[in-house]
Amino acid sequence: MSAETGLRPSEERIAAMVRQYEVERFYYDEAAILDAHRYDEWLGLFAEDANYFMPIRRTRMQRETDKEFTQPGEMAFFCDTKSLLAGRVAKLKSGRSWAEDPPSRTRHLITNVRIVRDSGRELEVESNFHLYRTRLNSEESSWIGSRRDVLRRVEGSFQIADRKIFLEQTVLLSRNLSNFF
Amino acid sequence: MTTPIAIDELVSLERGEIDRRIYSDPAIFELEMEKIFGRAWLFLCHESQIPEPGDFFQSVMGRDNVLVVRQKDGTVKAMLNTCAHRGNAVCRAEEGNAKSFLCTYHGWSYGIDGRLLGVPGFKTFYNGQLDKTQHGLAQVAQVASYKGFIFGTHDATAPPLEDYLGATGRLGLDLIAARGEMVVVPGIQKFIIDCNWKFAVDNLFDWYHPQITHASAFQTGALGTEPSRAPAEKIDMSGVNMDTGAALDLPGMGIIGTKFDQVVVLGEYGHAIGGPTASSSANPDFENAWRSTAQAREVLGPVGAKVAGHPNIFPTSWVTSVTGQLSLRIPRDPGHTEIWWFTLVDRNLPRETRDFMVTVASRVFGPGGVLEQDDGENWAQATMQTRGIASRRVKQQLTMGLGQGRIIKEGGLARVEGLTSEHGQLWTYHSWAQWMKGLSWDELRQATTPGEFI
Repeated sequence: MSAETGLRPSEERIAAMVRQYEVERFYYDEAAILDAHRYDEWLGLFAEDANYFMPIRRTRMQRETDKEFTQPGEMAFFCDTKSLLAGRVAKLKSGRSWAEDPPSRTRHLITNVRIVRDSGRELEVESNFHLYRTRLNSEESSWIGSRRDVLRRVEGSFQIADRKIFLEQTVLLSRNLSNFF
Repeated sequence: MTTPIAIDELVSLERGEIDRRIYSDPAIFELEMEKIFGRAWLFLCHESQIPEPGDFFQSVMGRDNVLVVRQKDGTVKAMLNTCAHRGNAVCRAEEGNAKSFLCTYHGWSYGIDGRLLGVPGFKTFYNGQLDKTQHGLAQVAQVASYKGFIFGTHDATAPPLEDYLGATGRLGLDLIAARGEMVVVPGIQKFIIDCNWKFAVDNLFDWYHPQITHASAFQTGALGTEPSRAPAEKIDMSGVNMDTGAALDLPGMGIIGTKFDQVVVLGEYGHAIGGPTASSSANPDFENAWRSTAQAREVLGPVGAKVAGHPNIFPTSWVTSVTGQLSLRIPRDPGHTEIWWFTLVDRNLPRETRDFMVTVASRVFGPGGVLEQDDGENWAQATMQTRGIASRRVKQQLTMGLGQGRIIKEGGLARVEGLTSEHGQLWTYHSWAQWMKGLSWDELRQATTPGEFI
């Protein structure tokens, strides 16, 4: 429904809906690729100049919450370029990456997708995720957080030009981060 | 367990055998808390983390939460994070800056030095009769700093920090401190591995595992280096079979091989340094130039200049000499260990070099590190198997090089030279057993003084 006409949405609104649909579909496809362990395909979603960054979060008093997350240049859980991500993918495929052999079972749930800026060439998109992992018989990890991506428009789809991952944990409550977010 | 624990039956330095109960028996864990973590000097944080008055970092000693706080006069105090009234924590943040610490239960407030300042209802409810000077935050018995590394001990009778560290422990910390004006990069990685703490400690001396455990990281360029396919000076891998039946294709990389000189330094109170010599581990991809400065040469001395392996300040402070980090292995319960990574860089490094070191640190170690992500499952599974009534009867084996290590004493250090061995782990467990007996400090020093052979 549209406030503008009361009958049919404006073209501008339709364009925004289509854009939202395309971004969401991109994320759902990405999640499916990750959960199917198709890591080469996943790597192909990233731009050559992409960065992949997961800062460390610290419990701080309310007046210091601006210092909650570390910044680029400080320590992080991930601080990768695309070539380093490619190294991680090669590691996972090597047949000797024991923390993922037998492979963990993962499920990526992506929600609350919000396009916060659109410069034409690139979109800035915030989304929430739940990455659920079980491993062997009894190990269970669950990570909830948000991602802030820069998506670049290419040939009718997107490339991830930058990804920042913010976890809702300070002390990480699992033994490793051998999966992608 | 009501009968006393017979410590000497748990660890045999002669046979290189360890009773697996030490990895999961709750009574042994309780004894460790008292006899080791209740007495040893424990690393708290680095001075650069708390430069300004009121800056604090919350650390852990055994199961005691400790606030390490920079004072107005520039000194550092460490105090227990528990209200003197009814025990609530007076600080919940991991780090920050505070003017005072307020207990949110009844409102007692403390200065940054731990003195009790405010008591609500002091006149009305206490009739002004509470002696505030007697109810400050409990201070850690001794706090001291070695080249910026702040340690604390719960034991007022413990020897001074520099004596406790001895030549081996000091060299361990010098391997970071000698690089320049070292500061901690903001962001301490913290994560929990479901393993006993001793697996996470003894592994740091284990140079037998990288070529298997970390094969995927060395082979595929995940370390950020070119994949190394050149045949290594291969360890004899006959007998290794992948479950697919294929031979295990080993990477060639600087830290594995047979013609690979190692040096293990053994120190009093259980400190040790184990791993490759500086010349055999040369890895052009990591920042190594600091070793050749006049300052570093002088501090390290002739033996120290050879050492490029991993120091452990007993019990739980691992200095990683390659990445310039310090990792704590904090026991939480018999089956859980919290890992903390402190990353240090020379304040004067060019921005580019600093950024490179920081990136390397997060790529190699920590939960996302391509090395450490494969370690945790080994230790978790090993811990799990010590709970089975039959599995735990199988003795843990530390027999590689057993009895063949001739101990050379030179420059105040005791060392063993040779190929990959388990001497570092043996020394750690031997010392662990002496600590667990509750000896006097003199007796403990005697019992952990290296002999002629190991």
